[in-house]
Amino acid sequence: MSTANIRAASWLPPVEIEPSRPFESKSEVPRELDDSGAGVTGQAARLATLSIWSQRPWALPAFLGGIVALVVVALAFDAADLMGRSFAVSHALGVLVTVVLSVTVGTALKLAFDEMVAVRRLRQIDGLRVEADQLVAANGHGGGLAFTETMARFYGGRDDLASALQSLNNAVTDAHNDGEVVALIDRQVMAGIDQLAYASVLRASRDTALATALSPSAALDVAIVLWRNLKMVREVSTLYGARPGHFGCWRLMRRMLANLAVAGAAESVGHVAADVLGGSLAAAISSRLGQGMINGLLTARVGLAAMNLCRPISFTAENKPTLRRIRNELMSVPKDVL
Amino acid sequence: MVTSQFPNWSSLAGVGEKALDLALRNVGTLAGRVLEGNVRLGVTGLRRAGKTVFVTSVIDNLLRGGRLPFMDVVAANRFLAARLRSSPNRETPRFTYEKYLAALTEAPPHWPAATASISQLRLAIRYVPSSSMRRSVQRIATLNVDIFDYPGEWLMDLPMLNQSYEEWSALTLEMVSRQPRRQLAARWLHWLGTASPDSNPDESTASEGAALYTEFLHACRRSQANLSLIQPGRFIEPGELAGTPLLTFCPLLPAGMLYRQNSLWGLMAERYEAYKNEVVRKFFVEHFARLDRQIVLVDVLGMLNAGPAALHDMRMSLTACLEAFRHGRGGWFDRLIGGQIDRVLFAATKADHIAASQHANLRNLLDMLVSEARNAIRFEGAMVDTMAIAAVKCTETVATEHQGRRLACVQGTPLGRQRPTVLFPGGIPDGPDLFPEDVTQPYRFLDFEPPAGVGRDGRGLPNIRLDQALNYLLGDYLA
Repeated sequence: MSTANIRAASWLPPVEIEPSRPFESKSEVPRELDDSGAGVTGQAARLATLSIWSQRPWALPAFLGGIVALVVVALAFDAADLMGRSFAVSHALGVLVTVVLSVTVGTALKLAFDEMVAVRRLRQIDGLRVEADQLVAANGHGGGLAFTETMARFYGGRDDLASALQSLNNAVTDAHNDGEVVALIDRQVMAGIDQLAYASVLRASRDTALATALSPSAALDVAIVLWRNLKMVREVSTLYGARPGHFGCWRLMRRMLANLAVAGAAESVGHVAADVLGGSLAAAISSRLGQGMINGLLTARVGLAAMNLCRPISFTAENKPTLRRIRNELMSVPKDVL
Repeated sequence: MVTSQFPNWSSLAGVGEKALDLALRNVGTLAGRVLEGNVRLGVTGLRRAGKTVFVTSVIDNLLRGGRLPFMDVVAANRFLAARLRSSPNRETPRFTYEKYLAALTEAPPHWPAATASISQLRLAIRYVPSSSMRRSVQRIATLNVDIFDYPGEWLMDLPMLNQSYEEWSALTLEMVSRQPRRQLAARWLHWLGTASPDSNPDESTASEGAALYTEFLHACRRSQANLSLIQPGRFIEPGELAGTPLLTFCPLLPAGMLYRQNSLWGLMAERYEAYKNEVVRKFFVEHFARLDRQIVLVDVLGMLNAGPAALHDMRMSLTACLEAFRHGRGGWFDRLIGGQIDRVLFAATKADHIAASQHANLRNLLDMLVSEARNAIRFEGAMVDTMAIAAVKCTETVATEHQGRRLACVQGTPLGRQRPTVLFPGGIPDGPDLFPEDVTQPYRFLDFEPPAGVGRDGRGLPNIRLDQALNYLLGDYLA
């Protein structure tokens, strides 16, 4: 009874609309890239509105802010003092110190600006991923074309992706629903980047495996692993269009470590168990090689986590990169070298 | 990329290895020529479901490969090219793909005429295998796809194989006793009242009955009710059998036990059995034996246009026909011919007649309509899926304002008109309540002309989800 009423209210008979009347074209009004911190997932948003957060701890931020302000003021005084003293000694020295000072301040500002851009870029990627996930989950119709345009603008400046974007443009039609559009972007644009990123991760993990196997000291191991990991993360995130700065890389690493620690305890336990077992088998042959293997695998895990974090569209069950192939590649390293 | 940093030390091992590798490759190529994959794709569908256009579009799209982004082999850049090949079955006429494509692409474009006889075509697809192990033996693989096109009317003969003349007569008479058939069969029913099944086998009576029955079948086909259960199919699409005595029988009221031989009933029953054995069984053994994959095209929208009777008729026809195919293991038809279909796709065709936002509802509706057949096939161990597709996309989905409501409409040139129009064809409900009682014509899905200049860009005919359908049907063969 109630369904019949609803139907009567919303039901519309077939109607032919005058062909002369203007109608909207299939493409919706392009939307601006959402960069207003849209990287908040539903759960996080719910968490943020919990009432217990309303009692914000204000003392510590105020204290830290005070210290920073004091240091900045002190530095400014020192700089002014320095300038005054060098002008007192000689005019030329004063000019020189002024130039050096302004260059220092200018580059500091530039670095800070770059970092801000990088952070914004990372947020944009988060926003895109949330949007894509929502489109796939709702699987409605109408949002897909706008999302395609957003993605095309996000990757617009990339020459290497021009042909992929062109073929995406050819493939998407008004008949595809939102889930299909996201799947098409995944296939046409993301798949190519995935391959390059995967190759980069593979290279890094082979490098770390080899280098730590050959290096004489543990301290050198740590340095190598750290440096190579940072380089890899930078490569991967640049491929996906995240372009992180120096601190951005650290941020990314930190998030990845959290990701590695949190992301599905069962999964990581399984992987680590298998990795360590495989490693120990190799270690029986050579403890050095085994150590290298484990370092390589850990690098690979960091790399795969970076791919997951920097990809504007979440991996699906089918195209999720796995450690297995990397492990097989690593197993062939000793064979190739010896 | 990996090898650029880490030289492949084993490459120093010598020239002998390389020569061996090359020899192995050549053997592999040779073996690949011999060991070509074969897949027989059955395109099944009741009449007017769009089999011919579907086959034409499949061939055109595979030949050009420009509009199949959801086919894994195309997306992974492993698809090389496809070519038409002569079919191994010399007796069956070739599917004149070029003629049908010309009809669709010439100016002004038009739809191909209804199919009157069987034809087939073989398409060879060259691709690079995805597994590296297979690639090391066979760098380039070939898959031959055999596709059949036949009048949909003939499909309705399939359930007859499992029925005796008596059973078939009883079922048909039961069906004719109800509307809308009753009205259409008035003249034949009158003849049935006068002809006694116990009378002497008289050729002129038999041919009069058959002629009136054929007339009734033609009336069914023409009727607004869009009936699909029209048996026997050869009466209206006789193919090469026109005018032969095989086609001079019709259902009769049951005769008394004493008069089973040497009577009108006896004559009719004999011809029915002959029809079954010499026409139906021969056709299906020759062409439907050893089918590997099957797509069942269903014109759901046409049925909705025609009303509840047509929908019911279609549901019955589909269930009856599909019983005969062998899916997974052990359908009864299999005991006759052997063969096994391990994937079946039900596709609601002409999805371009509705706005794209309605496709999900169309698919749900199809799910509901074929649920019985689908469960039976799944139970036998074959995979089943449903999709809303369009072999040739004739419309664009546009959004309009109408009486203050935002509507998703289709824009295209309706059949028989010159100018494009914007049409809201009525929404497909997402529930089972398809035909509200207070509305006389809840749906008006118009047929559309093929758009002018279609396929001129050389990427293949524009379509809706043809790639997903092909990926489901052939994807694992092209792995």
